Parts: sequence; C-alpha cells; structure tokens
Amino acid sequence: MTSFTRRTRRTRRALLGATAAGAALTLAACGGNVAGGADAAGAEFPTGPVTITVGQDAGGSTDLIARAVAEGMAEDLGVAVPVVNRAGANGALATEEVAAEPADGHELVLLNASLITITPLAVSDDEAVDLSNLDVLKGLSQDDYVLLASAESGFEDLKDLQDASGDITYGTTGVGTGSQLAQAALFAQAEIDGTAVPFDSGSPALTAVVGDQVQVATVQLGEAKPQIDAGKVVPLLAFSAERNQFLPDVPTAVEEGYDVPVSQYRAVAAPKGLPEDVKARLVESIDAATASETYTAFNENNLLTPLEISGEEVTTQWSELAEKYRALTDEYDISLAEG
Amino acid sequence: MESLHNVAAGFAVVLEPTNLLYCLVGVVIGMLIGVLPGLGPAATIAILLPLTYGVEPVTAIIMLAGIFYGAQYGGTITSVLLRLPGEASSVVTVLDGHALAKQGRAGTALGVAAVGSFVGGTVAIIGLTFLAPLVAGFALDFGPPEYTALALVGILLVATIASGSKVKALVAAAIGLLLATVGRDAFTGAERFTFDSLSLADGIDFVPVAMGLFGLGEILYNLEERHRAVSAPGKVTNVWPTRKDLKESSGAVARGSLLGFFLGILPGGGATISSMAAYAAEKKRAKDPSRFGKGAIEGVAGPETANNAAATSSFIPLLTLGIPANATMALMFGALLIQGVTPGPQLVTENPELFWGVVNSMYIGNVLLLIMSIPLVGVFVRILRVRAAILAPVTALITMIGAYTINNSVFDVLLVVVFGAVGYLMKKFGFEPGPLVLAFVLGSLLESNLRRSLLMFDGSATGFFTRPISATLLVVFVVVAVLPLVRSVRNRRAAPSQVDAAPVKNRDVKNREEESV
Repeated sequence: MTSFTRRTRRTRRALLGATAAGAALTLAACGGNVAGGADAAGAEFPTGPVTITVGQDAGGSTDLIARAVAEGMAEDLGVAVPVVNRAGANGALATEEVAAEPADGHELVLLNASLITITPLAVSDDEAVDLSNLDVLKGLSQDDYVLLASAESGFEDLKDLQDASGDITYGTTGVGTGSQLAQAALFAQAEIDGTAVPFDSGSPALTAVVGDQVQVATVQLGEAKPQIDAGKVVPLLAFSAERNQFLPDVPTAVEEGYDVPVSQYRAVAAPKGLPEDVKARLVESIDAATASETYTAFNENNLLTPLEISGEEVTTQWSELAEKYRALTDEYDISLAEG
Repeated sequence: MESLHNVAAGFAVVLEPTNLLYCLVGVVIGMLIGVLPGLGPAATIAILLPLTYGVEPVTAIIMLAGIFYGAQYGGTITSVLLRLPGEASSVVTVLDGHALAKQGRAGTALGVAAVGSFVGGTVAIIGLTFLAPLVAGFALDFGPPEYTALALVGILLVATIASGSKVKALVAAAIGLLLATVGRDAFTGAERFTFDSLSLADGIDFVPVAMGLFGLGEILYNLEERHRAVSAPGKVTNVWPTRKDLKESSGAVARGSLLGFFLGILPGGGATISSMAAYAAEKKRAKDPSRFGKGAIEGVAGPETANNAAATSSFIPLLTLGIPANATMALMFGALLIQGVTPGPQLVTENPELFWGVVNSMYIGNVLLLIMSIPLVGVFVRILRVRAAILAPVTALITMIGAYTINNSVFDVLLVVVFGAVGYLMKKFGFEPGPLVLAFVLGSLLESNLRRSLLMFDGSATGFFTRPISATLLVVFVVVAVLPLVRSVRNRRAAPSQVDAAPVKNRDVKNREEESV
C-alpha cells in the first residue's frame, strides 16, 4: 500500500514539473507575441512565423503552390513559413478563418479564384465568399482547363461534338467549379446537348473520361497532361484566353468563337487592414520567392503559367471575371446549382 | 510479366529500412493489443492514425496492416493461458486452447496456433498476390453504375452477415446512411443538415466518426466494465509443437486457410466469423466430436489459421475495389484517403509500389510474428497488469490530439467527443458500431454514384442491367437479399416447432464477440 502511494506521489510530482515547464514555455511564447503586437508597424516585421493557410488538402495543386511560395518566403523573411491545410467548403472555411485573424501580416491565405468568381453562382448568398475582408497581396499563376474526349468516343475536335447526335455526357470536377462553368457555357453557346456528371475532384473525372464512362470531361492541364501524352484522351479545346504554352497545337474556345475564358488563378491574401510597410515587406518576399530558380522550375514542372500581377490587379481581374460569369450564366440560362 | 516485375519492386519497397521498421512496430503493437482484452485492432488503428500522417502512404499502411494481422496472433495467447480472449476472433480458441493449457499442454496449443496462423496468413497473401491484379484488370470498366451496385451489395452484406442482432445492425446501418447525407449536395450545391456551419459543408469527416465510435467509445465502455482480476499464468513449457501435433493439426490448418481466405473476402465477413466457421467445420468433420472442448488440437489450429487467413484476405476488396469489408478495413480506407490515395480498382495500376509494398510486407510481417510469438509470450502476458486508470486517459488523449491534427480543426475534436458518447451508448445497448461506420462510408459512395449513373443513363434505371459488371453485381444483390427470406419461410413451413438448441448456443457465443466487424 505504502509503495503504491509513494509511486503515485512521484508520478504527480513529475507531472507537475512537466506542466510548469509547459506553462513557462507558453508564457514565453505569449510574451514574444505581445511585444510584437505593440510595435508591429515598425521595421520589426516579421516577429514570428508567417502562416499560409490553404483551403485544400495537402498534396493537391493549390497546396503544392503554397508550399513552393512558402519555401522562398521563408528564406527571404528569415522566419518559418509553415503551410497549414484547412480543407472545407471548397476553401471558404480557410478564407473566413484567416479573414477573422488580426491583420499583422503573420496570417496569410492562398486563394483560388474560382472560390470568388464561380462558387457564388452555385451556393447560397451567405455561403459565398468575396474579397471585401481581405487584402490581396500578389497574384501567382494561371492553371488552364482543357476539354478532353475519351479515345473511344472518336471525337477529335469541337466540330465532332457539334455533329454528334444525342446527348453528350460531360464530366466535371464538381459543382461550382471552373470545369462545370466552362463546359456548361461552351455547350450552351455551341448548341450542343449535354448532361453534366459531377465528380468529386479532378482525378476521378479524368479516370471517368479515360475509361469512357463519360464522353468528355474538363480538368486542369497539370492533371491531364500524362494521359494526353499517353494517348488515352484527346484534348479538344483549352479554355484559356490565349493558347497554352504547354499545348501549342490545341485551339482555345475563344479562337473557335466562343466567349468562355475560364482558368484557375491563384493569389496570396491577408486579412483586411494590413499596415502599409508590412504589406510592402510581404509583397517583397513573395517577389523574391517567385523569382527564385526553384520556383520557376516548379511552375514549369506543374504546367503553370506565371501570372505575377499586383494585388490591385488581382482584385480588379477577379471582380470582372465574377461579373462576366454571372452575365454569361444569365444570358444562356445556365444554372450551376442544377447538376 | 509486368506484374512479376511489380511484385519484385514491391519487395524492394518493403526491404527499405524505414518500412521494415514500421512493419516490425506494427506487428509488435498488434500482438500487444491482441493480448489486451477490450482494445481491438479497429480501436488501435483509430487511435494511432495520426502517427502515420508524416510518413509515406506505403509505410503507413504497412504499419496499420501489421497491427491488424498481428492482433490475430496476440489474441490467442490470453485465450489459451487465461481463458480470456484478447480478440473477438479468438473467442472460440478458448474452448480447446484453455483445456489444453489445463492439461499442461499450453505450449503445444500456442505453438500450433502460431504455425497455423503463419500458414493461413501466407496462403491468403499468395491468394491476394494472384487475385488482385485479375480484379484490377477490370479497373477502367468500373464506372459509377458498377460502384452503385457494389455499394448496394456491400451495405446488404454488412447488415445480413453482422454478428449479433440483425435488427440492431440494420438500425445502426440506417443511421450511418443518414449521417452520410450531411453536407453540401455535390450535385446541386444545396445545403443539407449543415445548420449554416461551414464546418459541415463537406459533410461529416469519416475519421473523427471512426475515432469516436471505436477509439473513445471503446475506452469509455471498458472503463465501465470492471476489469477482471488477472492472475499471472504459470510457466509455459515446450512451446515448439511436436511432429505428432503438427501432423494431427495439418488438415485443420489446410481447411482453415481456405475457409478463412474466402470468408475474409466477403464484405461484412472477417476474422471472427471465419474462426467460428472453422471451429464448427472441424467439429463437424471429426470422427469423435466429443473430444472438442476437452483439448482437441484441431479446435485450436482450425480457427487460429482461419482468422489469420481472413484478416489478410479482407484486404482484397479494399485494395482492388475500394470497398472496405469490415470496420478495420474502413479505417484503412480512411488512412489511405488522408494520404491522398483513393482506394479503388485503379490502385494496383496507379500506385503499384504502394499496393505491392503493402502486400509483400505481409509476408515479412508473418515471418516476424512467427519468430516473435513464441519467445515473447511471457512478456506480453505481463502487460495485462497495466491498470485501466493509466491506459484509458493516455489513449483518450492520443485520440483527441490525433483528431485535431488531421485538419487542424477543433470541430473535429468535438465530433470525436460526440461520437465517443454515441459509441459508448451503442455498445451499452448492444448495437455494434461496425455497421454504422460501414454504411456511413458506403452511403456517400452509393448516393453520388447512383445519381451519377442516372445522369449518364438519362434517368433510366434499366441502364444498370445493360452493363455486364453492374448487372452481375445486382443479380448477386438480389440473391443475397432473397435467399435468407426463402430459407426462413421454408424452414418455418417444414418444422414450425423445431427450433433446435444449436443456433441458440451459437448466438450466445456471437453476442460475446464485440468488436468483430
């Protein structure tokens, strides 16, 4: 009995010690933050790690871009730049969480344009995200969508689709995505009868078109390239405004006379109200990151077209696109929320 | 011969030091929890999931698989020595295993069980090696209609094969299906049961549900169950089975391997059911059935072989079709998803090094287990003395941290607590969490693929019968659904009052297996 009590006491003392040590650490960490908050406007930025939150799971293209930028930023800023994945609601969750953080430059978010420009067309108004709570720091790159046909379908260009009799099943990467909007708008303008079959993301949609489960599908180029090169799928159209440098022989929808410029754009943003000097420092570090050789090689490897425009330009471009897409869906009576 | 090349490449993956280490860690943990009554492989995998985030997918699955089949070895030890089954799948081993131990032949029982487990496991891996690429050959023919049919068959089998009360299993499965409907509609963007919370927009995440139901629920339930006083067993002598023992049990091992392999493939099947079936089969075959229960070596060899074969073969539907056959496999499914790998027919071709790495790690793991199981018996038995007051809070803490780290979300931690309470209540009232979790996984698969198929078929349900694979699966569905009904009607007509004692006894045993599914 005695030995039992003694053991318990010893355990408890050890635990207390551990707790005290933990508390001390926490206090120290808090102290650092408080001091940083007091004169954050000074040249002291950054006073701690700068976190980039990503609204998508680790391993996806958005996540990879965030990590590539974070690497260069960490080098330039001299602090750790961890990437935190906070998947949910197409990225809306991460965006709203970061927007509610203090605007001291230590909390950033990597934005997908589709969340701002296309998703609002598919979800209710209070679920939609806009840029009013965010300061966009810098645009990063453009990721193009490409319309693919299965090898069995026999389609080789848009003309074949138009001449085909009956309903064409087209795979999309989900509701409220660029893939859905691009195809719905193209089919409406080119007067092709089609039924959208939404998949959970790019990879299952691609698998479905490779296996001829759907006749055509639209996915991002980076995902589709290996299957295009292997001849398993036939690229019919790119939805970029200009020809994609990685697919020089594939015409764009715009060239064919259809007004559907849909691409995925990505940008870095911070909560609204960032001090000017902090903002300038962050933009500088992003510029340093995107200028690095590793980053340009990363873009090349992932078939991303650099689009390193200023935050103001991003805001203007995305607002214009959002308006354009809304007008497009109104004109052709397209509802993204109908499946 | 490309597949042979891949098999060889798989061995190269396993023999990487990290993977070997994780394989060893997995089987040791598996044996350990196999020894501990209450804590089963499903709960352990749920709790340890976060440990695998940082490692390669293949390493993660190698370790988790090791836990699963390692537990089948460990469960035997306490069944034989203490009459205390460490795992549901070792419940029947108690009958003859402990009888042998009382006769001073505990070593024989353990030795035969270890050899049988090794043979059963190895036979099943060989089956997996040859069968999986065959199934995967149809990979691209698996479209939404085929998945719809598969999910239907899966849900039905879960409900009908589940041990314990069928009505309760159906209720649990129905709740699972309902939970699967939460979240933003993937086809229209409409909000379903999200209560304006963005955290629910993507539906309820599978991992917190499983961690709550299996991990936390299990811990709470075990705390309430007063722990049985454990008396350390006497010395275990002559652990290596004699040639005579091996000869006597060789038939049982062979039959157990085959039976376990095939029952393990069935969705809803698994280690527990196959061990029961193997015991019944051995008893039925024996010239003198009265020996059973008094220390028949076949009564140990048969079930112990079968549960290992089944534990291995239940990986077949998961790795080749993306359909988890039981709750443990549902957790593996979750583990793969976290790693960014979607299990399905594409897995073998798209991730050959993952597939073959995991399969080949099982050969190695089985050898490790055979080597370890005998000398370590004494050590593992001592672990039984760890008090619940220490074990429970530590495991609960690990579970919570794990839930948070998946998505850096406090909401997920709350979900674990809620589902922990649900899991505890379910166990208390005799509902198994297994059917709920399986229906939850299969429910979203069923809904989205059914709707996708109907879009493809332009709304006509007859489309399902125009495609060979989905038509075959639907015929299987109808047969499985109708057969028990027909049989029960015929039985009732033939002998209205002849409800013999055997099934009742059977059910009694089945009720004891708790985390079998």
